Amino acid sequence: MADIVLDHVYKRYPDGTLGADDVNIEIADGEFIILVGPSGCGKSTTLNMIAGLEDISDGELRIGGQRMNERAPKDRDIAMVFQSYALYPHMTVRENMAFPLKLAKVDKVEIDRKVTEAAKILDLTQHLDRKPANMSGGQRQRVAMGRAIVRSPKAFLMDEPLSNLDAKLRVQMRTMVSKLQQRLETTTVYVTHDQTEAMTLGDRIVVMRSGVVQQIGSPQHLYDNPANLFVAGFIGSPAMNFLPARLENDTLRTALGDLAVGDQLRQTLSASQAERDVIVGIRPEHFEDASLIDEGVRHQGSTFTAQVDVLESMGSDKFVYFSVEEQATSDELAELAADAGTADVPGGDAGQLVTRLSAASSAREGQSVDVWVDTSKLQVFDPKTGKNLTTSEAAPATV
Amino acid sequence: MATTVESRPATPARGSSKGAGMSEGQKKTWWAVADLVVLLYALVPVLWILSLSFKTTDTITDGNFFPRSWTLDNYAQIFQIGLFTAALRNSIGIALISTVLAVVIGTMAAYAIARLDFPGKKALVGVSLLIAMFPQISLVSPLFDIFRGIGIFDTWLGLILPYITFALPLAIYTLSAFFREIPWELEKAAKMDGATPLQAFRSVIVPLAAPGVFTTAILVFIFCWNDFLFAISLTSTSRSQTATVAIANFTGASQFAEPTGSIAAAAVLLTIPIIVFVLFFQRRIVAGLTSGAVKG
Repeated sequence: MADIVLDHVYKRYPDGTLGADDVNIEIADGEFIILVGPSGCGKSTTLNMIAGLEDISDGELRIGGQRMNERAPKDRDIAMVFQSYALYPHMTVRENMAFPLKLAKVDKVEIDRKVTEAAKILDLTQHLDRKPANMSGGQRQRVAMGRAIVRSPKAFLMDEPLSNLDAKLRVQMRTMVSKLQQRLETTTVYVTHDQTEAMTLGDRIVVMRSGVVQQIGSPQHLYDNPANLFVAGFIGSPAMNFLPARLENDTLRTALGDLAVGDQLRQTLSASQAERDVIVGIRPEHFEDASLIDEGVRHQGSTFTAQVDVLESMGSDKFVYFSVEEQATSDELAELAADAGTADVPGGDAGQLVTRLSAASSAREGQSVDVWVDTSKLQVFDPKTGKNLTTSEAAPATV
Repeated sequence: MATTVESRPATPARGSSKGAGMSEGQKKTWWAVADLVVLLYALVPVLWILSLSFKTTDTITDGNFFPRSWTLDNYAQIFQIGLFTAALRNSIGIALISTVLAVVIGTMAAYAIARLDFPGKKALVGVSLLIAMFPQISLVSPLFDIFRGIGIFDTWLGLILPYITFALPLAIYTLSAFFREIPWELEKAAKMDGATPLQAFRSVIVPLAAPGVFTTAILVFIFCWNDFLFAISLTSTSRSQTATVAIANFTGASQFAEPTGSIAAAAVLLTIPIIVFVLFFQRRIVAGLTSGAVKG
């Protein structure tokens, strides 16, 4: 076990593109950290650099305090789980799991003991003599995990280990990974493009975009205080709503009407110039059916009336979709849409507002409903830089 | 249906094009017929040689498919002349050594071509293709002169060298196709598991490429075993003459007798090692050995 430090790490490709641009991450001993971002954001490159499968162009990687840049993967004492599992098809499960120990010249009795133990943890005991080809996806996935844990390495690296499993199994395996990590208390770096996995698994999340770290923090912190538009749009499902707005004195003029800026918000915003175009971000759960809001609370927000476009009742909540005329645009939002594939859907979520109302709401499709917005939870972003103007936290510079 | 039966398809291709309107059983019958035609086409000459090798000298030209009178004289005869036994030994030795060397070198070269990026890679692939296309006959005279000059004319080495040269392009092309099929992540996994590049190559890549290695070995062995051009040009005595050359040098009982029976018997004997070689390795040539490595 050890801590992992990425100190101003760069990855430059021969054609000049940057796979990782000044990445600084300090991962504590035993921490479960998630690298998340859309495809091509540099998360896998970063993981491969920690593994030693890709060279570090500049900067320093330290594991357990020691510089690792020049060490071969086998000398770094870290184990990796691959998206494709990468099991050796000509070996049985037992041989697959014993392989790293055999290479480390551990004696036979010890190998046997460790493999049996790992198989017990992963519920693979009855499959030890089978070949990977005869196993299901979930079983193969567990064998891959087993091969990583037998060695008790300093750290685990996981490259989208669950993305080849079907949805139901993925949720189960997610719990298993989480339990396993808690039990072994081994430093784990986990790469995923799935924000749900990131939110549920990690102690801390690192959001990346085109090689640059956007924000590092606990899942809740990232959710409540996104540093910029990209993080705000990436974390959370359904995604945050973004509306173009004009900030005039204490009011935000939006397509939903004028939203009063709360005291707290006003204080943070007052530092920036008074009148300007901004993007307002509102999470779906910060809307509520106005008729369900107490008079006392109502003044903390604004109310607007709109026609319900689509209503999805989830039992516990109601997702209500409204059409809005204007849609916030920025490079970051365009990239997120492209990654999610919504850019390809005709109509997509262009000009759509997603709200999550209580199940008690009387909203009906095609009818108008009064909706209340909790203005104290608004996030205001600079449309040019994407920076969050509502948090005082200094975000890492975006390109 | 009746019309399809009347226009009896002769080839599998035509058979399958008619397959759309046929039942499963009919399809099977057509395929069986097609297979039989191909099989007969390939096997009749072999059976003919086999039949010749068992015929007596008197009946050898009678044109019967089945020998009227059987004899093993032809086989006995070719072993009476010590020349053929020596030639057989040379053939086996030279072909085996050439195969092993060509496959070992070819495996490493093919791996490098499939996996690594190095300067001159395209040139290497191009040159090996060039060698494969080079007319071998044009090399015979220069090789004859060079080999006599450096003293390897009429030696095993003198045949092994050109065999490896001409077998390598074949080996490299076949093997690099197999290496490309092996998921690269397996190698990365081996590296992460603590393997040196050589260990990863030996315990992960080579076992997975085994079907390719064996296929290549068979092809190279057949190429060396069947060669006549180099063997007859670069050898002169039983020290290194191979079986193909020995057969060509057979003489009949008298000046006027054709050694047809002996040649047939020797030809039958020559095919046996090939059949053994293929049968022995056939089990190892299992398609889809890599299934289960990555997501299914």
